[in-house]
Amino acid sequence: MTGPYDAIVIGAGHNGLVTAAYLGRAGLKVLVLERREVIGGAAVTEQVFPGFKFDTAAHRIGALHPAVVRDLDLKRHGLEVVHADPTVFAPASDGRHLLLWRDPKRTVEALREMSPADAEAWIPFSELIGKAAAVLRAAWSATPPEVTGNDPRDLWSVVKLGVGLRRLGKRDMVEVMRILPMAVSELLGDWFESDVLKGTLAAAGIAGMFQGPMAAGTVYAFLHHHVGAGGGVLRPTARVRGGVGELTRALAVAARGHGVDIRTSQPVERVIVKDGRATGVVLSSGEEVAAARVVSNADPRRTFFDLVGPTELDPEFVRKVTNIRFKGVCAKVHLVLGELPRFSGVPEAGPHLNGVISISPSLEYLERAYDDAKYGAASRRPYLEVSIPSVTDPDVAESGKHVMSIVAQYAPYRLKEGEWDAAARERLGDAVVGTLSEYAPNLESAILHRHVLTPLDLEETYGLSEGNIYHGEHTLDQLFFMRPVPGSARYRTPIEGLYLCGAGTHPGGGVTGFPGYNAAREILRDGKG
Amino acid sequence: MTAGHRFDAIVIGGGHNGLVNAAYLAMAGKRVVVLEKRHVLGGAAVTEEIYPGFKYCVCSYVVSLLRPEIIRDLDLPRHGLEILPLESTLTPLPDGDHLVRWADHDQTRRELYRHSPRDAEAYDDFGKLMYQLAVAVKPILAMVPPDPTSLSPKDLLGFARLARHFRGLGEEQFHALFKLMTMSAADYLDEWFETEPLKATMSASGIIGTFLGPRSPGTAYVLLHHYLGEIDGAMRAWGFARGGTGAVSESIASAARRFGADIRTEAGVAQVIVKNGKAVGVALENGDEFRAPVVVSALDPKRTFLQMVEPKDLPDDFVDAIRRFKIRGSSGKVNLALSELPDFTCLPGVGPHLRGAISISPSVDYLERAYDDAKYGAFSRRPYMDIIIPSMIDPGMAPPGKHVMSIFVQYAPSDLDGGWDETKREAFGDAVIDTLAEYAPNLPGAILHRQVLTPWDIEREMGLTQGNIFHGELTLQQLFCMRPTVGWADFTTPVRNYYQCGSGTHPGGGITGASGRLAALKILGGRPR
Repeated sequence: MTGPYDAIVIGAGHNGLVTAAYLGRAGLKVLVLERREVIGGAAVTEQVFPGFKFDTAAHRIGALHPAVVRDLDLKRHGLEVVHADPTVFAPASDGRHLLLWRDPKRTVEALREMSPADAEAWIPFSELIGKAAAVLRAAWSATPPEVTGNDPRDLWSVVKLGVGLRRLGKRDMVEVMRILPMAVSELLGDWFESDVLKGTLAAAGIAGMFQGPMAAGTVYAFLHHHVGAGGGVLRPTARVRGGVGELTRALAVAARGHGVDIRTSQPVERVIVKDGRATGVVLSSGEEVAAARVVSNADPRRTFFDLVGPTELDPEFVRKVTNIRFKGVCAKVHLVLGELPRFSGVPEAGPHLNGVISISPSLEYLERAYDDAKYGAASRRPYLEVSIPSVTDPDVAESGKHVMSIVAQYAPYRLKEGEWDAAARERLGDAVVGTLSEYAPNLESAILHRHVLTPLDLEETYGLSEGNIYHGEHTLDQLFFMRPVPGSARYRTPIEGLYLCGAGTHPGGGVTGFPGYNAAREILRDGKG
Repeated sequence: MTAGHRFDAIVIGGGHNGLVNAAYLAMAGKRVVVLEKRHVLGGAAVTEEIYPGFKYCVCSYVVSLLRPEIIRDLDLPRHGLEILPLESTLTPLPDGDHLVRWADHDQTRRELYRHSPRDAEAYDDFGKLMYQLAVAVKPILAMVPPDPTSLSPKDLLGFARLARHFRGLGEEQFHALFKLMTMSAADYLDEWFETEPLKATMSASGIIGTFLGPRSPGTAYVLLHHYLGEIDGAMRAWGFARGGTGAVSESIASAARRFGADIRTEAGVAQVIVKNGKAVGVALENGDEFRAPVVVSALDPKRTFLQMVEPKDLPDDFVDAIRRFKIRGSSGKVNLALSELPDFTCLPGVGPHLRGAISISPSVDYLERAYDDAKYGAFSRRPYMDIIIPSMIDPGMAPPGKHVMSIFVQYAPSDLDGGWDETKREAFGDAVIDTLAEYAPNLPGAILHRQVLTPWDIEREMGLTQGNIFHGELTLQQLFCMRPTVGWADFTTPVRNYYQCGSGTHPGGGITGASGRLAALKILGGRPR
């Protein structure tokens, strides 16, 4: 038995590292245990093929918590966030295309060709989204209140949210309340007419969701991806120079600087619970490490069922954890390209390849992609979010060649027929490449190497239950004071001394650092003990 | 204008809510006139002899949520209201099996046990929870919604009361209610049951009248409705009014007349007369004018605000909000006169199952596929159907030995691709009969007369905009203080002395009479503004 530590963090994903760094900064002796041989969790850059760096899981980052960047001095440790411009290029089905720029005026100009009405609507719409996202941003920083509790701090945070909403003014307040539970297709239908614009914006509302754009609640999911995006930018595309693994590397440097001990290739077998209290962990090597508290960056299902075990938990709590919906729908395809894709209508290389390429020609296209998955099959024509980081960051690929990373949706974790075996994996890869080739006919011949990750691969490689990239779906019933389960949404668990700090907690998934930051605050609030 | 045209209040529309409103106003001593456009009273709650000797419940066909205080206050049984119980719900299955839920608890338990012992156990626990939640929701349905944008003591007090009510529920019930409000019916039921036809038939109540599939969030809370009917004790779950649904309207009208209300049919209102921002009367289509210091519209919000008054009399924001109010119709109705009873393959012959509801909802996937057709602009090729045979419950509905069948059908989108016409209406009717014939092969040969109503017909004949049976979709963003729009959920309107009392106001939808009653209380209690 080694230790004891003040805290053990299970999993060196970005949230785990954030929590560890803050605990170390507060003077705690912290050990981070990572199952894989590399740190980063789903924020990792790997040379799938030698000489080519791929962001193998998350290939974009969300709104990083500004306090994290500042407090942990991440810029000094080498973090450079690249905001792509244009953010999105989306080919339409008629050969035209859509470009969304960081400068709203430029987007308006670009839209004017496609639809003057949509160009008119762009600025007011993006302002509304900006206001709604600002309200959410305030909620993201808060620890969810215990609704029926009596803690004045909880009441205060609810009141603050209410005040934030009221500050919008009557008209916007009403509109924000109205749109929150809506279907993103309805919201966009109220504002825009162009199919490719509606499809491309709606894609943000279904990313990672087992829902189509016509399902209620997808407006929240859409807003989730716009928190912190800033004025007028819709579907923001932020990457990390060198790959998203550079973020977790910088976090690790910061954590180590605060005395945190980070060990890789150290899978945790289970959390030791004595008399209802977490006292340490057992590694799969059999080694036991003692600690005053244990913080899990694993998703709630893994944490409670694999690491703790249902026998340590109240049956009602077990039922709640069982009911968390994961339903992964994303697959990843990684390609090494001998040349850049030539899109019909824009065959030459240009700024359109800077951001993400979105295959989302219409709402109906997305909805049909969902229909396949709804009945248990992978989309024949999936929604694709394509990123070619080597265009703006040549160091990630051998000179003259390119790396392409594609998030494909929908690939349901549970297939109605067959399973995610090698053949299904290749069929998925073919569907993705085939779909993209309809827009960029040279693609197929440009491919030098291909690597496909199914939802099952995502589960096995990154420890994401059912391959869900958010550690649990972003539906209204699984957010805020309901995340990960109602009654335990404050980073604490029914096991004393066991905390959660991953995306399965408020405010959820995406590379943001918010869950890790909030968790560290709550752990420290409980005392250094 | 003659003195006979002067009243204390004018109610536009003789649907059940308009009649309830008039009855309460009359009971308080007001001289009220109800102006109904059609030749019969009842709006969507009518019984008509469309084919000689056969009485059709043309639109609405069952009663469950009619407020007991209305039945009591208006003494409706004395005016002829008699509710007969619906004994069962039969779900025939394509493989020749079936699922029946009976009024008798033990019988249902045995039947469920046959499909799944686990579900038989869970069904009682589910019923208990729903009962508790129904009790929790009931006071909310009975209150005039406060305005979240207002800082007036009355509204703040309303919200404080609401907050206290929720806190009083306790954590478990609050969370259960939150899940019910935000989840999809299919996901919610997945947490409880495994029998497909049980989940499908129960989730069907969540999609009725809504343009969503059972897997879309926001469809779960309607599950409560079934249990709300139960707690009131007036009737158990669903019932059928002797003489058809029109008898409900007739009894309310009779009560209203007894209190002195003047009820006129074939008196279509063309316009509300507004002078200096104040409603002073109405102009009929035939040119007559009626004057009163109070004008109440029982029409849906689109008609109430976009047809009855000029946009210039309303604030622009308000007009925009009403334009955006979602009122897509999603259902149709087929009424049949039959020479003999349908003979179901799964339960041959005549039996008690024909005195209950028959639900064509073999699986959640079946309902989703029905929805898929509609979301792309077609009617369901194999629709969901909720069927009753009124003549089995009340023999007076058809000549001896003959029968009437009432078939509620979903989905039939109001915005059918290319629009509705006679040919498409009949094709829709054929799809209904063909689907039903798969379960009861003798049905096509037994049809003496068939009436098919699409949303197009429901709009033209009953005056329900887009054929929406609830005067506006019952989605989260259109409920409570947002129905029909924020700031105007208390039955008042931006036009002074003009009120709304239809299903487009809180609590909305179904034959409850609640909107009509709450509006009357508001009118009687509110000082002139």
